[in-house]
This record gives sequence, structure tokens and C-alpha cells, in this order.
Amino acid sequence: MIFDRPTLIELIDSIRIFLIEDIKNELPNHLAFKIQIAINVLNIIKRELNDGEELSSEIQDMIKLLIKDKDMNSIKDLAELIQNGQLDLSDKNLQEVLIKLSKNKVSVDNPNYSTYKKLIK
Amino acid sequence: MLNELSKNIEQLLKEQGLQGDVSDLVPLTNGASNETWKFNYIMSPSSIKMILKKGPDTPPGGLALSKSKEATIQSAVFNAKGPVPEVLAISSETSNLKNAYVMELIEGESIPRKILRDDVFKDIRNSLAFQCGQAMAKIHQVSLKSLDWLKQKDVNEELEELYLTYKNFNNPSPVFEYAFKWLKDRDFGDSQKTLVHGDFRLGNLIFDTNGLQSVVDWELSHIGNPLQDLGWICVNSWRFGHHKKVVGGFGDINDLINGYSSIIDKQLNSNIIRNWQVLGTLRWGVICLIQTFGHLLTTTNSVERAAIGRRVSETELDLVDLLFLKGK
Repeated sequence: MIFDRPTLIELIDSIRIFLIEDIKNELPNHLAFKIQIAINVLNIIKRELNDGEELSSEIQDMIKLLIKDKDMNSIKDLAELIQNGQLDLSDKNLQEVLIKLSKNKVSVDNPNYSTYKKLIK
Repeated sequence: MLNELSKNIEQLLKEQGLQGDVSDLVPLTNGASNETWKFNYIMSPSSIKMILKKGPDTPPGGLALSKSKEATIQSAVFNAKGPVPEVLAISSETSNLKNAYVMELIEGESIPRKILRDDVFKDIRNSLAFQCGQAMAKIHQVSLKSLDWLKQKDVNEELEELYLTYKNFNNPSPVFEYAFKWLKDRDFGDSQKTLVHGDFRLGNLIFDTNGLQSVVDWELSHIGNPLQDLGWICVNSWRFGHHKKVVGGFGDINDLINGYSSIIDKQLNSNIIRNWQVLGTLRWGVICLIQTFGHLLTTTNSVERAAIGRRVSETELDLVDLLFLKGK
């Protein structure tokens, strides 16, 4: 990257901490609630910037192995094959891909989610 | 703006013969698509606390009913002595308030985390699942005579509607595709169609220290299989982190079933309710998509609606947990 510091992550953090420390407590409840949602969104962006590529390529590799077609490795491909009945629904490998896909997505979207915390134990 | 809203509320209530003045008008924490306002209506010498519910001026379609239809159903339940606040005035599309209605304010708590955590609810928390079962049964007993205009859906129509809605957004989900296939061959019970609340869960229930007082938010109600309501309150999204308590984060499935059976004498099968829970999880996922694309495809910015798009993955994780990992 040709850009100076702060990095993207550091910029996001500066907004996030500003919202938490300077803004949130000054607002009435219904707006504080909205600011909290904005803070949550910044957290998602931060996690996706950090881990998004690795989490995605992990799944693409699993899809490639499952489908055994080097040109098909996207979420869209997998969804279409399931829709068209071209995959055996009882196949444990398919189920494993769906489990891992969902875990990887939630690890970015909301790692505090109860089911996620339960399943990574 | 507050002043104008007050005037419009006064005008609507006046048309119902309720002459008075709005005071202490404040917005409550609300969902992604509706506004809820609390106010005191002063009709000297007395005053009544009321709630205004207002939807978007043009109802967005999708799965939700307009406010006037929602209010009409709520009135029918009230008239059948069901646990709902009394509707006081319904606005029409041509009036200033447009898509809105006014009801009495029921004192109590609706914020899920408070009900699940606060000490004042500690003593009654164990009885809430039973009470929810009773309230559902009362709703399912409401006569359909005055509600024949309401959308009727059997389970196949429900699934088809959800599938078309999901497909419409062109946001492919392998887990959703799998779940739709899985749900095709399931047993959902052959109950006679009843009024279904459609969103019976914490957040739409008002409790005080005596227990359940009111069921609000009727915008997803329809006529269909009553077991949908029992499955819906078991969806993990409504347990707010208290995932071991299957019913709403506070109770067990047997208490819900026993409460229901104490009003309607009928054997309920928990496996069938679990199938409705799977369907409910998928349904909540599709509703999240509707909310998200409401933000993405219109000019109105909403950070809540944008954020809800990233909750779709929670429902996917719950689905794989239920289907492959013996989740409850």
C-alpha cells in the first residue's frame, strides 16, 4: 500500500472510539441505540478487513474439493448445485462445507453470537 | 416536527370523539421499519397514556401488513378478550398521519435483556413459557369471521413465498437452498387454520412482575398453521444469548406445550414444533434480507437495516446447528 498511517484499521478504530467515548453517552436512549449499531458495523468492517480474505479462500478451497470442478468455487455455484439437486444432501462433506461457511461468516459478522460461541468450544 | 405530530394525533383522536391535548410525546426505542411514540393524552380532568405506532407512509409490501390492518386484527383479538392493548384510533391513508394507529399504553417491560436478566423478573421467569403457551392458545381461538380478508397461508404457500422472496434479492445462500430442500419433506402437523400472530417472541411481549400482560406488533399476522407461533418463539435469535432455554431464552418446550394445552385440549408433538423452529429460523433469515434490501434498494439510509444484512449469517449458523449438529 502506498498510503500513510493511520492504516484503514487504525482509522476505523479512531471513529469507533470517538463514537463510544465522546458521542454515545451524550445522546438520548433511542439515538444511543443507533450509535451502538453504527459501532457494531465498524467492528464488522474491521474484522472483515483483517480476516476476510483468508476466511473466504478457505471456503473456496473446500467448495473446489467438494465439486471437483476447478472452475466452480463460489458461493453462487454451490447454491445453484444444491438448488438443482446435483448434490447429495446426506453427503457429510457437503454438510461440513455448510457448517464451516456459516462459522466463517459469523466470525466476522458477530463472533459473540451464542451459537457461534457454543460451536467453537 | 414534534408539534406537527402532536397536532395530527390530536386530530385523529378527536375524530374518534376523544378531545384532548398531547403532552410528553417521546419516541421509544424501535424496530428497523416502524416508529413507536409514547404520549400522555390530557382530557381534563383525566388523562390516558397512549402509544402511536407509525409505519412508512407507503407500506413497503413484503410480508408486513399496513398499520390499519394490523390495528383491525389487534381489535379483533381485544374483543375476543385476548391479551392485547385496546386500539383507540386508526388513521387512514388520506389523513395526515397516514399509515398509523393509536392504542392504550400497557405498563410493563418489553426489552428482552431486562426480562431475561433483571432481578425483578427472577421469581416469575420460570412461569413465562407456560403463560406464553396460554396466550398463544387464546390468540388461536379468535373467531376468523371478521378476519376473512386476512391472508391465508398453508405451509407450502409459506415456503413458496419465502423462497421467491429470497430468490428475488439475488443474494445466493447455499445454506438457505439446503434448508428449503430439507423443509419440503417435513411433517408440520395438519392443524385447522387459525389466526397466527406471526412474530410471537420477546420484544413483542409486555411483562410486569405478575407475568405476561400484552402481545403487541401484529404486522406479520395471518391465517395459517397455529404451530408456527410455537416454533417461532423457539428460534435462537429470540433467546438473546440465553441459548439453553429453548423457549424465548427463559423456558422449556414442555412448559410452553402445557400452557397451550391448558386452554386448547390437544396433544402437541415437540418434533413437529422443531420443524416449525427450523422454518422459523429460515423465515427470520429471509426477513433480515427484506430489511436489508429495503435499505439497499431505496434512497432512505438506515444503519439498522444495513446492519441487519449481517445477521443473515446468524440464521445460517443456527440452521446448520439444527440440521447437522443436533442443535436445540
